[in-house]
Amino acid sequence: MQSFSLFAPRNSFIHRLNPLTKLSLMGFLLVGGLFLPGIWSGYLLFLLVLLPLALLGKVTGDLVRAAWKIVVPFAISVFLIQGFLWPHGTPIIYIGPFSLKAEGLRFAIASTGRILIIVSSFLWFSLTTRPDHLMTSLTQVGFPTNLAYVIVATLQIVPRLQTRAQTILDAQRARGVETEGSFRQRTRAMIPLVIPLILGSLVDVEERALAVEARAFGHPGKKTYLVEIAQADWEPLVRWAILIGVVAVVAIRILFMLGLT
Amino acid sequence: MNTLKRDFTTTTWVLIPVAIAINIAIGTLIYVLKIPFVYLDSIGTILVGVLAGPWAGLLTGLLSNLIWGLSGLNPAYTPYFIVGGVIGLLAGLFSQWGWFRSWWKALLAGLITGIISAFISAPITAYLYGGVTGAGTDVVTAIFRSLGFQNLAANFLQGLTTDPLDKTVSFLIVWLIVQALPLRFVARFPRASSVRKATV
Repeated sequence: MQSFSLFAPRNSFIHRLNPLTKLSLMGFLLVGGLFLPGIWSGYLLFLLVLLPLALLGKVTGDLVRAAWKIVVPFAISVFLIQGFLWPHGTPIIYIGPFSLKAEGLRFAIASTGRILIIVSSFLWFSLTTRPDHLMTSLTQVGFPTNLAYVIVATLQIVPRLQTRAQTILDAQRARGVETEGSFRQRTRAMIPLVIPLILGSLVDVEERALAVEARAFGHPGKKTYLVEIAQADWEPLVRWAILIGVVAVVAIRILFMLGLT
Repeated sequence: MNTLKRDFTTTTWVLIPVAIAINIAIGTLIYVLKIPFVYLDSIGTILVGVLAGPWAGLLTGLLSNLIWGLSGLNPAYTPYFIVGGVIGLLAGLFSQWGWFRSWWKALLAGLITGIISAFISAPITAYLYGGVTGAGTDVVTAIFRSLGFQNLAANFLQGLTTDPLDKTVSFLIVWLIVQALPLRFVARFPRASSVRKATV
């Protein structure tokens, strides 16, 4: 089943964890990255928590590569723009007519750290979790089945739609539609592509609705599952610990903010 | 509660994944073909809002960013799911008020939605991302920053240079599609009466 996800199958401790545990871990990292005080907290979380988790999950290479591609352009942008253009900032380094401002630098460091932890937590989670297993375990704890269907179906439809878009693009090219060149040409090529793509996908909707209803979609009542998602006995305890950790982080942040005023 | 039940038919539930896939497919295409000034990554969301009502539109918009983020291609755009939700909600409301019956009203609805979406994305960019997104639009932000604007204002002004145009074009495309669809097909959706007349 080719689906639109980053999941990388590996034989690792992390991969064997229950999806809900991994979801809680990701949640903790996100809350930590956003709420822990100080401008270096994002980097600390990344080095001390995320990298070990990635190593345990044997996905370090993929994670670092994917995170690099997103964080580096952002870091360049934020250091240049906030570093040099911070209004009324105190200059610390002079480069020609421009000066690097201290406040801008601190801001840029903090922002990059935040982006780093947000992006890499998502990447770690996606690399180590199968989307369909995630949905199954979520529905087993009460997540609405219709929503779970939406998420799983989307992940399956996207690659199909992208292949279809490529097919339509090729077909239009064969009819002489110019798809390279100036901005006007490329934009005009979009219309004979976008409209058939959308109309074709919408016609699918009717068939899918019938197929899905024939399989008791939206039928109220308890469902039984084909796949059993395993979990170790200690995992629920770990999830509770993580929850306490999240509350602690928020509490630290509140105390920190109160302590400063 | 009754409206929710009427809006969320099986057809609606099946439309939503297709709509999100349309968002991702066209959004990626625009990005890859490097077409400037527009993103076109909410066409599906707007479509659901028009055909299945504001709540279905809201849900589609919320899920769209989250799923795109889960896929790993764009985790940086995940926090903007609030904006996506609002776009779907607004599209549904405008359609409910009959604005999708004529092209110029749809255009105006797009313009208004674009301004509101710039207004909502600005705080996310300013407070979560430190005022930049790593994309080409940061150049515009830089210009506003060098003029002395605070982060929030600079982001809002930068948003005003791209979002209204993008949403206007998207709303027009959806108007075109909804008028071009065969009536028999449109009639299957809960809010079809908002956009097409019942007689052939």
